[in-house]
Amino acid sequence: MKMAMKKVALAMACAGGMAATMQVEAANWTMLQGTEPTSAAGRMKMWGFIETNYKIDDSDKNKYVGTPGNNYEYVPPKLLQPDLESQKGFSAFRARIGARGQGMPLDGKVNYFILAEYANNGITHGGGSSVKMTDASITLNQIKGARIRMGAFKVPTFEEGYQAIHVFDYIEFTQVANQLMLERYPNKVYTENRNNEVGFAYTDGNSESRFNRFDQPVGAFRDVGLQVFDMFKQKDWEHTYAFMIGNGNGVNFNDNDENLDRYFYWSSEKVFAGKGPFRQGLKMFAWHQAGKRTLQNPAVPFPAGAGADPEPAGETEYDRTRSGLGVKYNRKGIRFTAEYLKGEGMIFLGPDNPTFTITAPGAIAAPGEARPLLADGREGESDGWYIEGGYQIPKTKWEVDARYDVYNRLTDAKKLAGPCAFEFTFKTITLGAQYHINRKTRLTMNVMDRDFNSGECPSPAAGGNPNNNLHTVGKRYGIQLRHIF
Amino acid sequence: MLKYTTKWSAMLVALALIAGGMQFAVAADKPFASKKIVLQISDPNPFKQTLVLNVANNIIKEYGVDNVAVEIVAFGPGLRLLFEDNANSGRIQGLASSGVQFYACSNTVNNMAKKLGHKPALNKNATSQGPGVVRIVKLVTEDGYTLVKP
Repeated sequence: MKMAMKKVALAMACAGGMAATMQVEAANWTMLQGTEPTSAAGRMKMWGFIETNYKIDDSDKNKYVGTPGNNYEYVPPKLLQPDLESQKGFSAFRARIGARGQGMPLDGKVNYFILAEYANNGITHGGGSSVKMTDASITLNQIKGARIRMGAFKVPTFEEGYQAIHVFDYIEFTQVANQLMLERYPNKVYTENRNNEVGFAYTDGNSESRFNRFDQPVGAFRDVGLQVFDMFKQKDWEHTYAFMIGNGNGVNFNDNDENLDRYFYWSSEKVFAGKGPFRQGLKMFAWHQAGKRTLQNPAVPFPAGAGADPEPAGETEYDRTRSGLGVKYNRKGIRFTAEYLKGEGMIFLGPDNPTFTITAPGAIAAPGEARPLLADGREGESDGWYIEGGYQIPKTKWEVDARYDVYNRLTDAKKLAGPCAFEFTFKTITLGAQYHINRKTRLTMNVMDRDFNSGECPSPAAGGNPNNNLHTVGKRYGIQLRHIF
Repeated sequence: MLKYTTKWSAMLVALALIAGGMQFAVAADKPFASKKIVLQISDPNPFKQTLVLNVANNIIKEYGVDNVAVEIVAFGPGLRLLFEDNANSGRIQGLASSGVQFYACSNTVNNMAKKLGHKPALNKNATSQGPGVVRIVKLVTEDGYTLVKP
């Protein structure tokens, strides 16, 4: 009997240990983030994570500084986000605390999700807040096949942005994710593309010489709106759809115009084993989103002739569409992902301020007055893709990762006026290693080798040559510690 | 006469046993069970739902399906485990196939009905014949079960 009781106790201990480390979430990002296990969730589960890192950027300065169009020794890709002031340093980059659950546990058909960002990044940097709520939503699960989620939450979108960031296998996003998808919203007033020029009086009234002239947070792949979604099982396959309408204004929580963004998402996944964010499966997905943005064009357009801006002055609406497809495979310690993304309209050309055009350098008579237009992202096109993979070394806590990403910015640049073809290509190879201290804590090490180019342009051109900056963008090294609680 | 009386008595006893056995078929289903364990779940923490199912599964694995009788008694907030739409219903079905019994406290069902405005739909593998605590007392004091509260 004594022996039997010991065995029961041992079995219980094993069960407890197993349950403590099991992922208990739903099966895919749409379901994982929008629902709770029916009648098996608590009234409130507090959770969160911290990411802290140290980075070194090895980029060289632009040696042509002083010639026209070469105003900066170090441009934003050479500086650490979000402050864009240094090339190395420690950062408490992400710190999020949230709660989720079913407010009335007896009714498993209603659940909620709330999350806030406390650290220093693009969400909290723009707009001057130190803490920013990113998610606050309620899901109604009464209608089979058409669950309804309302509030602020991640939009159904490409895998890199849709996945929970605390399971992301790299320290930095791909360039296509960072530039095409991580939306920078237009400033409320026109902001000249002349940062760091000492003594210049900006239209926004701030003459301080600095980068980072954003007056709103980045989009964080989120919106405020209403989503209809559900998942259907067919033997080993799971099919998930989501349709959403939203303000199209990210985590700014207001509708700044009368246009709603539309989001469509479909995924089909063959499930091999497990559950939660590390589930083993083969997933194929496609998505599309479309909306409009209101942009402040220069109040005083550049006069007719070469470099004249054909667009109206002042507040103007532009279409913004993004779409893509991809595949993700994860089985027995081997991971592979490939995605292709395409965008039209509101192509961000900063990255030091929310500009969507490139204008020629040179004096202007007054703030708000335009300079000759060299490239136009307002109605431009871009695309990009990446492949990445990971391998968990058996019987160790080590994992190795590799990623190659390409972003082609302004693929239609040759159609536009100006002395140079301002099509940009951003290629990055990222090599990484991760050490899983435990299931909730990991150390991530990355080396990024960046090869950035613009189209043909005389060097050094009278109109400035972006390659003077881009060709001096070098390697970036990072080490990050992440803990989920 | 005595012969007929004995026969009728035996039949009545047999019927009574069958009727009782339909609800609580432990003895009938597990005639060779040398261990009897009742697991209590009364906690609102959803982690406990996974835990109690894991424990039941491990007990079955440890002793073998035919050698142990396991019954999970749910009452209070723990009754949600036996809701029809519970996310663990697949696991409950699997354990029921291995002979694990599930018992839902009738008092809790009635109290929840008052809050919900209707009786909660229960898992088809669950029985509900009376209060959960009374069921545990009976299993422990009369049927030789050992109570474990994970």
